[in-house]
Amino acid sequence: MPSASSVQSTLADGVRAFASWLNNWWRIVELGARLLTLALSPSTYTAAYRQALLRHVYLGAAPSLVGFTVLTTLLSLVVIRIVLVTSVSYGLTQYALEMVVRVLVLELIPLTAALFAALRCTIPRAAEVAALRTNSADGAWNADNDPMRMQVLPRVAAGIVCALLLAAISCGVTLLLAYLSIYGFTSAGFPAYTRTVGHVFSPGVALVFGLKIAAMALAVALLPLASVLIAPARPGELTSAELKGLVRMFFVILLIEGVSLVGNYA
Amino acid sequence: MTTDHEDPASPPVRYLELKAALLLALLVALISGTALYLMYARGVFEQTQRLVLLVDDSEGVRVGMDLTFSGFPIGRVRGVELSAEGNARILIDVPRKDAHWLRTSSMFTLVRSLVGGATLRAYSGVLTDPLLPDGAERKVLVGDTAAELPILVASARELIGNLNRLAAQDSALSASLDNVKTLTEKLNGPQGALGALVGNDIDPKKIAAALDRVNTLLSRLDGMAAKADTQVLGPDGLVAGSRATVVQLNAVLGDARGTLKKVDAVLAEAQTVAGNVREASTDLGALRGEVDATVRKVESLVDEVNRKWPFAKDARESELKLK
Repeated sequence: MPSASSVQSTLADGVRAFASWLNNWWRIVELGARLLTLALSPSTYTAAYRQALLRHVYLGAAPSLVGFTVLTTLLSLVVIRIVLVTSVSYGLTQYALEMVVRVLVLELIPLTAALFAALRCTIPRAAEVAALRTNSADGAWNADNDPMRMQVLPRVAAGIVCALLLAAISCGVTLLLAYLSIYGFTSAGFPAYTRTVGHVFSPGVALVFGLKIAAMALAVALLPLASVLIAPARPGELTSAELKGLVRMFFVILLIEGVSLVGNYA
Repeated sequence: MTTDHEDPASPPVRYLELKAALLLALLVALISGTALYLMYARGVFEQTQRLVLLVDDSEGVRVGMDLTFSGFPIGRVRGVELSAEGNARILIDVPRKDAHWLRTSSMFTLVRSLVGGATLRAYSGVLTDPLLPDGAERKVLVGDTAAELPILVASARELIGNLNRLAAQDSALSASLDNVKTLTEKLNGPQGALGALVGNDIDPKKIAAALDRVNTLLSRLDGMAAKADTQVLGPDGLVAGSRATVVQLNAVLGDARGTLKKVDAVLAEAQTVAGNVREASTDLGALRGEVDATVRKVESLVDEVNRKWPFAKDARESELKLK
């Protein structure tokens, strides 16, 4: 039987862990607010900042576009084919397009785009920031160079743009593939197709869809960087901070997905 | 193109600003294009007119569902609300370009199927009727498959119950089948169908014996028939005799015919005699009249003599008697 002191110490450890967890989240929110303030400040947009922003946006999004588009095309074709064949075998072809749009465009593609943006853009950028902080002796990470504005904000903005761009392109490609798979290379099915898409994207669903993509983009752009920044700038701690950032990111993405499902189907 | 703060490991990018601007422009174009397409798909840019359908129960009707005409969507449900009478009011926006399919005589149905949602359909029988006005209210005919299902299940249950009663161990059908089995066993037995008909083992033997006797009788009848044939149709048979008799009878009839002719002549003469007698009778009548007149004259003469007879003492005694 555990003694009262051990129970007390366990409780105290739990309370301390919870307080630390809350403190970390608060620091992430605070960092996000600082970055938002910087992004909304006109004085931020100097020539040097614009150069850094454009460079990070391009280097973050462009290399992923072709690969992700090919990946999305393959994934979409497979899922669309499965849905079509299944619906034909059950005599429910009139629901095939709606199901494709709901499954792929509303649920799978935004999630895939966010994860892909995280893997190809924001997590490597977080590692870069961690390396800059660790090797601050080279002069890139010191107070004189305003690292939050010149190093962090462009990378977060690039992550957001990357996630949004990948989601937008993949949704467009999926909608196009769905049309071609169902109607073929003809424009005759466009009115019916448009009507079905309009059915799916009711105002509530469209709002949830937009908020979900924006929230996921923000999560994958901010959380890996913020997890690195709130951790102490010691080499041994940074790897742990990157892992914590990944866990936080997946947790938030899961939360966003759950909330969107509740908003759409509850 | 590089700045003081960029990663020295990254290579310089040519036309960085242009490429980045293109990416951002692509993002803006995709987002705005998607938004515009969704607004177009939702019918935001369409000119519509309102149609209100009234129904007792709006179950299955959801906002955004189509109103179809001949399988083509011509309207979209924009809302469902309760009326003051407690009915459901289905508010439908019909695009102006499709509104000409709806006429004042159009019928509207709400069909709830087992698979999939409910469907709203419009039927316009007479397309020359006036157009349906904006804001028109129409009643909806409801066809509910799900509501008919319990009735179907109840009927099926009743049918299954009847089948169970038919198939039960002590049912009439089972008893009938047992009887059929017994019958077929008897049919397959040594007595065959005869045993099944009479129901015991003794009567079939009697019937068989009777059949034997009938056979014997028939053979004797065959012999009798042969004999009768000889006696009737043979050379000295009844038929030949009858033929001779008929010839004789013809002769007798000829004689009779001659006799009858003679009788006819006698009768003609008798008729003549009768005519003469009738004339004689007429003459006798005249004669009798004359005799009667003579007698009356004699009687009157005698009466005159008796009155004038003076010597008679007793007139009554002495009167002359004519008779």
